[in-house]
Amino acid sequence: MGKLMYSCEQASMLSSRAMDEPLAPLERIQLRFHLMMCTGCTSFSHQIAFLRRASQKVPEALETDEDSRADEPRSRG
Amino acid sequence: MEEELAKSLDSHRKYLLRYALFQLRDPSLAEDAVQDTLIAALTHGDAFEGRSQLRTWLIAILKHKVIDQIRKRNRGLPADALSLGEEDESADSSFNTRGRWVDPPADWGLPDAALESKQFWRVYQECCRRMSKRHAMIFSMREVMEISAEEICKKLEISTSNLHVILYRARLSLRSCVTKNWFGAEHG
Repeated sequence: MGKLMYSCEQASMLSSRAMDEPLAPLERIQLRFHLMMCTGCTSFSHQIAFLRRASQKVPEALETDEDSRADEPRSRG
Repeated sequence: MEEELAKSLDSHRKYLLRYALFQLRDPSLAEDAVQDTLIAALTHGDAFEGRSQLRTWLIAILKHKVIDQIRKRNRGLPADALSLGEEDESADSSFNTRGRWVDPPADWGLPDAALESKQFWRVYQECCRRMSKRHAMIFSMREVMEISAEEICKKLEISTSNLHVILYRARLSLRSCVTKNWFGAEHG
């Protein structure tokens, strides 16, 4: 970790890792520093966060019309 | 009471099957996981109160059954089958040799509106299908089933650094596929 500046590849890898475990304080600072100056990596980090939000909806989103009909009560009484 | 539970379990079967199939990509394994789930649900039916949360409860059971299936399937494979593969070692085409984006990610604007679109979900599913089986499985354990990184490593017996590379590759690939087919494409 001798270099002060991350490349985009390193920064995006770190954005990804940050979603799975806490980064070391220095890594966090270096990543923030890179993101401040790099719109590509900023978009990337927002996008993988969005993909997580989407993925967490998969079980509901995969529901089809057929499934939701099956949930309704069939008949009264 | 039991009969009623059995009836409503049946109505969730298809949903559970879809969930398991998304994760396992193998109809017969998915079927097994769902069956085990329903049996467990019937066995512990008295522990369950109120029908409104039934699906949430079933999904929680199903997660464990899916992991069981994955582990069972891995038992026949070499010990490092889930570790880094060649596709992880090769240079990623998203970056040039100096580690710069070849095609820097552009702003997706307010992407959450896409979650309401059926077409978007078709793209999402198709993009997941295009990942390698191993990437897709581990990605969805982490992001769909929301299992912690630590637990995935333990259950699948892979190293933390392997897991990070796999998840990174999976996210890169899904991001780029969804960009190509949704956010950067004409749709709707």
